[in-house]
Amino acid sequence: MANTDLYEYPPELREEFEATEAIQFRDGSSATAADVWHFMTEIAPKRYPFAYTQKKYAGVRLSRDIHLPSAIKNHYLLLTMNDRITKSRENGAPVIFVQGGQSVDPYYAAGGIALRPASVGLWARGRHEGLGLNEEVVRQHKQKEKAYHAISFEACQTAGYENIQEGGLPIDMVAPFTCLRCSDISYGVEAHRHGPNKAVKLMNIDYPMRHQADKKWAVEYFAQNLRRLTNEIGKLAGRDVTDDDLSKEIRLHNEGRRLAIETAELWWSADLPPTNGVDRRSLYQMGGMEVHGDPSASLTVLRESHAYIKERVKKGIKAEGVVDKPIRLFVCGSCVFPNDFRIEEAGAIIVGQDNHWSDISTLVEEDGDPYQNLAHAILSYPYEQSVELRAAWTIEQLKKSRADGVLFLYQWGCNTQSAIARMLCDTIKRDTGIPTMIIEQHEGGSEQSEQLLNRVNAFIEML
Amino acid sequence: MSLKRNFFAGVDVGSLAAKAVILEDGKVFATGLVPSGFDSVESGLNALNLALETAGLKKEDLTYIVGTGYGRVSAPYANKAVTEITCHAKGANFLHPTVRTIIDMGGQDCKAIRIDEDGAVVDFAMNDKCAAGTGRFLEVMAGVFKVKLEDLGALSLSATELVPMSSTCTVFAESETISLVARGEKPANILNGIHHAIANRISGLFARVGITSDVFFSGGVAKNNGMKTAIEEALKVTIVKPEIDPQLIGALGAAVLARNFSKKEGLWS
Repeated sequence: MANTDLYEYPPELREEFEATEAIQFRDGSSATAADVWHFMTEIAPKRYPFAYTQKKYAGVRLSRDIHLPSAIKNHYLLLTMNDRITKSRENGAPVIFVQGGQSVDPYYAAGGIALRPASVGLWARGRHEGLGLNEEVVRQHKQKEKAYHAISFEACQTAGYENIQEGGLPIDMVAPFTCLRCSDISYGVEAHRHGPNKAVKLMNIDYPMRHQADKKWAVEYFAQNLRRLTNEIGKLAGRDVTDDDLSKEIRLHNEGRRLAIETAELWWSADLPPTNGVDRRSLYQMGGMEVHGDPSASLTVLRESHAYIKERVKKGIKAEGVVDKPIRLFVCGSCVFPNDFRIEEAGAIIVGQDNHWSDISTLVEEDGDPYQNLAHAILSYPYEQSVELRAAWTIEQLKKSRADGVLFLYQWGCNTQSAIARMLCDTIKRDTGIPTMIIEQHEGGSEQSEQLLNRVNAFIEML
Repeated sequence: MSLKRNFFAGVDVGSLAAKAVILEDGKVFATGLVPSGFDSVESGLNALNLALETAGLKKEDLTYIVGTGYGRVSAPYANKAVTEITCHAKGANFLHPTVRTIIDMGGQDCKAIRIDEDGAVVDFAMNDKCAAGTGRFLEVMAGVFKVKLEDLGALSLSATELVPMSSTCTVFAESETISLVARGEKPANILNGIHHAIANRISGLFARVGITSDVFFSGGVAKNNGMKTAIEEALKVTIVKPEIDPQLIGALGAAVLARNFSKKEGLWS
């Protein structure tokens, strides 16, 4: 049974919102602001009531910064994931499961749709309608338990695999970069090799590890892997992939990356936080062009948002619900994020994170061989380098974002980030004096446990 | 200038006990300590009412209340909520300004806290998933030996030797203890082993935050002299003798913060 006490967008906002820009999709179609408003006020509350929960700490709830159009449009794109991905796939675009924290230019260049584990989870979520918040959380837990059976109970992030194995989602290919950021990609790939659903093609994009970006052999080797990848996706999509296809895609994705960098610099320079933490994160994430399963849609929202953030920063407009001079936290580590609503209530705000920002903030050279350029950029991701290099880059982000403290979070079972956390935090502390805190998390749920939040709140009080 | 007396209260609702401290003019005026019930609001109010009754005051006489502990999220009677980590730091500093390191062992967790001369937290670490070093663990052990929780420490100190305990998992330690008893080991010697095993386990927290003298031991477990002795041996430190019940330190710190916050908010001068 769905929740009956649901959030409603104020009707008087309609006119203001409908005057904002349309979302342009990759297939040439569009959704006007009026279409978005209609979906978000009439359709989505019935299909996805969990997002309209009034529980103030629920991580999935809608942003209350209603005068920021991107907040509503981002929710629209997330809640229409199933409709849009299903339609695109029916029109011939293969869907490929990829690694978190990697760029997706080559997948789209070949006519595919690349979805990271979290996005696969969002697609799956969209196929279950009418669920209230608790029902949705129970559904997620059940899927996770199934994945523990399929992979290992020691695996941390299992999003995606269970849906692929069960055939619940029509994924056409599993093709992650095999960088070391996540031990569970190895678990998942292994599980996929032995699981019942072998019909889904598996392809590893072999990633030469650590500090290889300036080595010719490594760039050429990885470029060959990328070419192999686009050829395979092209076969699924029924088309030949040219170098020009990739060059065009790189230019498009670079625009998103540049906009995200400019938006972040604006946000970080502001005296008063121009958005809350959730909306800030969504804006930066859009620069990765993956989060909505449609780079063109992400780009239209990001372009519009950039102008709004610029205006807010110029006029000194502060986001609703955020304190004037919050404690500024930077989050390191993969897959886990502390509850923004609780953090903001405690007088702090999250100003950035290293994980996806690593690939979003890495621009790709546009002149020359697109495969070589892309390979060089991907092998340069700061997050995938040695701890010393990753720490140096993180310190740069801490200075830019004027962070007061660093929270390093990772999932229980993560064999990669757990090994890096201590050394990275010690280096940051030694070189900057900025306090750090490491938290290992092992829990689901939408609001996070008191154990975890007690540590985060005490850390904020300490700062 | 107002001659009105100002009273400040701190209420610490933990997993096993709810504590309240009322402060006036920089002195502890009254305290209250009750077992925590299912309803954390009620537990906090019970502790506060007990302290008010002891002081001969009404709730309206209090200028400001700070809630802390796991029950702080549901403390409608409090003006503000602060984590117990900050409160233990303030409480220990209030009693002993030379304290720089705190070991807090409560009902459900154990914390290593390092503080500065103002009682501000410099660094801290907590047990994550293991219940060793908590009041709940010792409660289970008291159940195994069928002795009162408060008698565990004295019994441990009467040991003639130390029986090594290989497990500090609450569940496995219970079965290991039962098998040691069956093998004829003396309860006091087993308890000595248990206390030292816990002390060694929590030493890891201090490897992360460091130890600087003076060292203070707070929380309900701090009443256990056997644990105090085991920690002193494991960490090679001397623990400061507390001036009040160490279980009240979190509530005391909350009361100190109530005084500070209310002054900052201009409620008194």
